[in-house]
Parts: sequence; structure tokens; C-alpha cells
Amino acid sequence: MLSVQDISLSFSGVKALDGVSIEAESGDLLAVIGPNGAGKTSLFNCISGVYQPQKGDVRLEGDSLLQYSAHDIASKGVARMFQNLALFDQMTVLDNMLLGSHHLYKTPWWKNLMFGKAARREEIEHRERIEDIIDFLHLEQYRKMPVGILPYGILKRVELGRALAMQPKLLLLDEPAAGLNSEETEDMARYILDIKEELGITQILIEHELHMVLDLADHIAVLDFGKRIAFGSPDEIRKDPAVIEAYLGGEEE
Amino acid sequence: MPTKKLVTSYEQDLKLFPDMWHKVGLIAALAFLLVFPMVASAKWVTIANLTATSIVGAIGLMILTGFAGQISLGHAAFLAVGAYTVAVLGNEFQVPWWLGMPLAGMAAALVGLAIGPFALRLRGLYLAIVTIGLLFLVAHVLHSFGDITGGVSGIAVPMYTGLGDATFDAPWEFGDYEIPFEKKLYLVYVTIAVGAALVSKNIQRSDLGRAMIAVRDHDLAAAVLGVNPARTKIIAFALSSFFAGVAGAMFAYQQQYITIEPPFDLNMSVQYIAMIVLGGIGTTFGAVAGAIGFTVISPLAESVGRHIPFLSENLTSAQQSTVLFAVVVCLFLIYEPLGLLGFWLRIKRYFSAWPFKY
Repeated sequence: MLSVQDISLSFSGVKALDGVSIEAESGDLLAVIGPNGAGKTSLFNCISGVYQPQKGDVRLEGDSLLQYSAHDIASKGVARMFQNLALFDQMTVLDNMLLGSHHLYKTPWWKNLMFGKAARREEIEHRERIEDIIDFLHLEQYRKMPVGILPYGILKRVELGRALAMQPKLLLLDEPAAGLNSEETEDMARYILDIKEELGITQILIEHELHMVLDLADHIAVLDFGKRIAFGSPDEIRKDPAVIEAYLGGEEE
Repeated sequence: MPTKKLVTSYEQDLKLFPDMWHKVGLIAALAFLLVFPMVASAKWVTIANLTATSIVGAIGLMILTGFAGQISLGHAAFLAVGAYTVAVLGNEFQVPWWLGMPLAGMAAALVGLAIGPFALRLRGLYLAIVTIGLLFLVAHVLHSFGDITGGVSGIAVPMYTGLGDATFDAPWEFGDYEIPFEKKLYLVYVTIAVGAALVSKNIQRSDLGRAMIAVRDHDLAAAVLGVNPARTKIIAFALSSFFAGVAGAMFAYQQQYITIEPPFDLNMSVQYIAMIVLGGIGTTFGAVAGAIGFTVISPLAESVGRHIPFLSENLTSAQQSTVLFAVVVCLFLIYEPLGLLGFWLRIKRYFSAWPFKY
């Protein structure tokens, strides 16, 4: 489904990624872990087209993503949740999520000037789909509130909802549980499992909450200083000496 | 008893005038617009025409700056293009006004499209500087084609109706009742202004407006969400300059004789920015309210300024209105940064919570 082949990304001397390869099968939940500055978010930026890796290739269903710009990659079915929220504060929850379906709109832009029957019908179609997501994420009571006034835990859910509104094939989750309390983290874990089991969307998850990663992921890739130091099932990773060395500071958990 | 009508379909959520009170407001506003020219003096009808022109121009700037976040100090250049398009087309080819206005819009939109690609590479202050450059460039081009634009001495703007040599400034006569030029213009201009506000509202509430606001607030996130920032900015430029061109044409037809600068100078650009700031950035309401507030404030200041002791003795009436306007803008920036929109929201909140305080 997704194959990242030997990509390298450097910023004038600093090697953010150095020959990293990962593979994700369709329906997989792949976790990427590693200490701060290991290159996890850079990896996401390369997949979603924010950065261009100098070497290597990123393929989604055999199609190289490097030839496309960020907005085209989004319409190919790659959705992303940002580490530090990138919601639009002045828009309502609903509008933020409708913006996620932007690439699905078929009405030409000038028809929006009149906002006639066809444009309205399409708007309502998307609204119905968004309402399913709102239902799935239990956001009903916040639907019409501007995002700027909502608490952080809700915002994380809104951003997940916006990513789902893009009807993605591949969902990139950049620390979905960062800053959440344990109850909210549990909810988030539940949503991620539901997305996997009910919607069958392939997910790549960056997370520091190791219990969550070890419980949820099918496979785990471990990055350290831009290199992939391990790849395998949670059980294999748990026992891998290189991972223990890099991630847990040489101590057994 | 429900305090307001329940929303039972998504269709209903898209309505501009969803319940009875909105409809009452709409009818009251339309009635006011119809009755106004019958009771107002010629001076105030002329002010209303200028207001309608400002509304169309301010909506243009609101689309570009308020929705899409591209700061432009060259708005007057697009108005100049529109104004000179109708002037030249009228003089050379006797093009009627109802054809001249959309052509003026399109001519300005073409200029907007031409500078769009440059604007894509710049943001913030740099874009502001480039748009000032555009303003000087347009003025220079208009000056150098003096034989068709009249150069520094200006040009008359004939308003042909398309029926032979007839022009629009002859009054309509119905028996002994007569509709003079400014009232005829009023009917046309108010229709255009209402239409422009409707289009702007449609942009704001549709996918196009959401994309623009996304580009304004966080263009990287917008791109990752599938919004093409370059395309969105160019659409905003084209739409904005179209409205500016139409506003320029309206201005030219009303003045009947135009020169290049003044009025189409940096001062006009800044005035349009003042309008959208005064009204409240980012909404159609802000553009309309700001344009009305701005245009009506000078004649009001003239009548008020006379009674302010220090001002009336030392300053001319134009200076008085400038000073009063400056004071009003400063007060707004300090006490109501959302502009007239903030006022409106507070009033709305008061009535929806009534009889409770909040």
C-alpha cells in the first residue's frame, strides 16, 4: 500500500532522515517511534509532500508521490493530523471538517458565486457524510462552535475528524494523544482501533505513549538520529536490544 | 415554547434568511431602500450612490484581503482600470453602460490575473509594496496614453443607454412626475451593491470561501488538506479586481468626468483598507457596514464639526471630517477591534439571550 524506499532528507548538513525505508500493508496500523529529533515528523512531511526528500522514493499503491505537490497528494488519499494542531480557529467545527472534503467537491468554483441548486446539493451531500463522522467521534454538541473556544482534548478529535472527512486511504497520525489526559488517551486509542476495524483505513501513528503503541500497532518502526534501527511486531520491538538502548536509555522496561 | 424555529434539515441550515425575524429584517431593509430616494434630498441620494460604489469596492477588497489574506495597497489601480475602461469605451465606441460595467470588471480582472502570479511568491508587507508599485504603474500607463485617456486633463465619461445617442443622465418623465439622474443611478447602483453583497456572502459560506480562509490562516495546513493555495489566491485576485473594476465604472459614471490622480491614488487604496477594518475583517457584513460607515461619516462630520468649538474655528470642513474620522477609527481600534461587526454581534447576542444578561 505505502512503501517508503530508502529516503534521505537533509537540511544543509543536518541529516533529518538517512536511508529510511518502511512498508505498510493495506489496513495496517504501523507505529513509528523514536526519541525527540529522530526524524518521525520529517518522515510524515516527506510522505505528505511538505518536504521533498533528496534521495529515495515514496510510493502509494505503486504511484510515486514525489512528483505531486502537497494538495495533489491530499487528493490521492493521504490525510494527516498535525502534531501541534493546525485547525482554523475562526471556523466552526463543521466548517473545519467540510474543508477536509474540499478535494471531493466537483462543483466548479464559479458556481459557488451563485450557490445555486447544484452547489447546495453537493454541500448537503458532504454535510451528511460529515455528520456520520461527527457521530462517530461524538462531536455533536460542538458542531457549530468556532474551534478557537474549544478545549484541547476536543480539538484533537476535531482534527482527527477533519482528516477522516478527506476520505483517506492512508491516515498519518502525528502524536494524536500528546497533551491528553489518560481518559482522553483511552478514547483516542478506541477511535484509532475503530478506524482500523470499521473503516479499514491504513494508519501510520507517531506516538510517545509507549503503552498505547505496543497495544495498538501491528508493526513498529523505530527511528533514531534519522536512521531506522528496528522494524517488527510489538513483541520483537520490546525485546530488541538496539531499541532498548536508544529509546529507553539502556534499561529494561 | 421554542424560542426559535427548529432546524430539521441540512437544507434549512444553508438558508440566508432562516426564520421569521430574518425575513422581517430583509423586508424592512428593502422597504427602506425603496423609500429612501423618495424622501431624501438630492445630496443624500448622491451620498447613497457613492456608498453603493464603496460597498462594491470594499467587497472586492474584502475578498482579497479579508477572506484570502492578501494585503493589497493597489486597490485603487483596479478601480482606475475599470473607470478608464468605461470612459474610453464610451468615448470611442459609444458602448452602453450596461455592457460597459461588466467589461470594466473583466478588464480589471485581467490586470488582476496578470499580477496574480507575482503575488503568489510574495506575502505580507512585500505583497503590499508590489501592489503599490502596480498603482504607480497603472497611473503611468494611463498618463502615457494621453490621446485616448485625456492624460492629466482628464476625460468625460458618457453614459450611453444603447438606444442611439441617448444618454442615461436625461431624467425619466412619467407625466408630471420626474426621476432625475441621481435617482436613476440610485436604482441601478443599489441593485449592483445588493448583488455584490449576495455574491460575497455566497463565497463566504461555500467551499470557495472556506478554502480562501484556510489559505489566509495557515497555507501549509490548507495545502495538506487538499486546497491548492496558488489557485485559491489567483481566484481571489481575479474576483477582487472584478468587483474593483465595476466599482471604478460606477464611480466614473457618477462623476461623469474623471482624472487619474486624484482620485485613483494611494489615498483611495488606504480608504478602502480603512473601510474593511472599520467594518470588521473577514465578513461580508464588515465590507458593507464599513463602506456605509465610511462614506456617511464625512457628510455627518461636516454637519457635526460646525458645532465643535475648537475644530470649527481653525479647520476647513474637509479637515474637520478627517480629524473626526481619525478619532472614530482610533476609538474603534482600541475599544472594538472587530469593528462594526463586533457591535452587531453584541446586539445579536443581547437579543438572543434576552431577558437574561448572557
